[in-house]
Amino acid sequence: MNIFISGGCKNGKSYHAQELARDMARENSLPLYYLATMIPTDEEDRARIRRHLSERDGWGFETIEQGRNICEVLTGSTLSGEKVSPEGVFLLDSVTALLSNEMFLPDGFMDESAGERLAAELADFAAKTGNTVFVSDYIYSDARTFDRYTESYRRALALIDRTLAALCDRVIEVSYGFKYLYK
Amino acid sequence: MVLIFGGAYQGKLEYTLDNFGLSEGDVYRCGENTELDLSFKVLYGLENFVMGCVKAGIEAGELLSEYGDSLTDKIIIVTDISQGIVPMDPKERSWREMTGRTMVYLGRRADRVIRVFCGLGREIKG
Repeated sequence: MNIFISGGCKNGKSYHAQELARDMARENSLPLYYLATMIPTDEEDRARIRRHLSERDGWGFETIEQGRNICEVLTGSTLSGEKVSPEGVFLLDSVTALLSNEMFLPDGFMDESAGERLAAELADFAAKTGNTVFVSDYIYSDARTFDRYTESYRRALALIDRTLAALCDRVIEVSYGFKYLYK
Repeated sequence: MVLIFGGAYQGKLEYTLDNFGLSEGDVYRCGENTELDLSFKVLYGLENFVMGCVKAGIEAGELLSEYGDSLTDKIIIVTDISQGIVPMDPKERSWREMTGRTMVYLGRRADRVIRVFCGLGREIKG
């Protein structure tokens, strides 16, 4: 089952997503993968990654690092060198980080086509795995229009969210620990 | 009256047209002024009308109440702008607050209230 989860910041999305992914893997005796999307650029990032790794300790996740071109995961390896099984359960946390990597390139260039491309890649990823939990962020209720870069990013993320919400079997909004099931 | 709201880029208009069997020709797009054209079934982007009211120094809910029963067969679409950072600009702050008050007023009057989240609707009244 493919699942899409979104909601506000620090509302418990990641924790709920981890529970769902773990349960899905246990029930079907499948490998459990965590897709680490952050590309570290400094010591603060590396410290955050170490914290995330220790937070997932004991959950049974195999970590896969992939900051761009997400579908390459399916023919790649985990951090510990095991070959990835596309039949496994994948937790992608988060779509938001992945879009940042695809859209804002290291040379300072912004790829305006990243939203459409990533929406298609993630739809492909969902179809190929069938057991992915996607986590996104609901960043659409500000009372202002941002600069061109931010507005392009919001529009692109919304396109991805709508695409995933349409094709996933289950769509959940997490709001301060409460869950609402749209599907 | 049906009130449909949701954040930016959530597919509110597409959802409305698909679920109520309407087309682009049924849609009045609100500008940043105090005008509404009630010959259309759908009033889209009411937050722009609210901004028009802020600029004109009029309370949007009071202006809407003057339309009385002529709003009862309308579908009103508003962008929810209530959950972000408080804007620095006083006019944007007034806009944010007046939009909230207007949504409360319309939500009370509406027969159905639907929230659109990532293209999916959730009926919260009706």
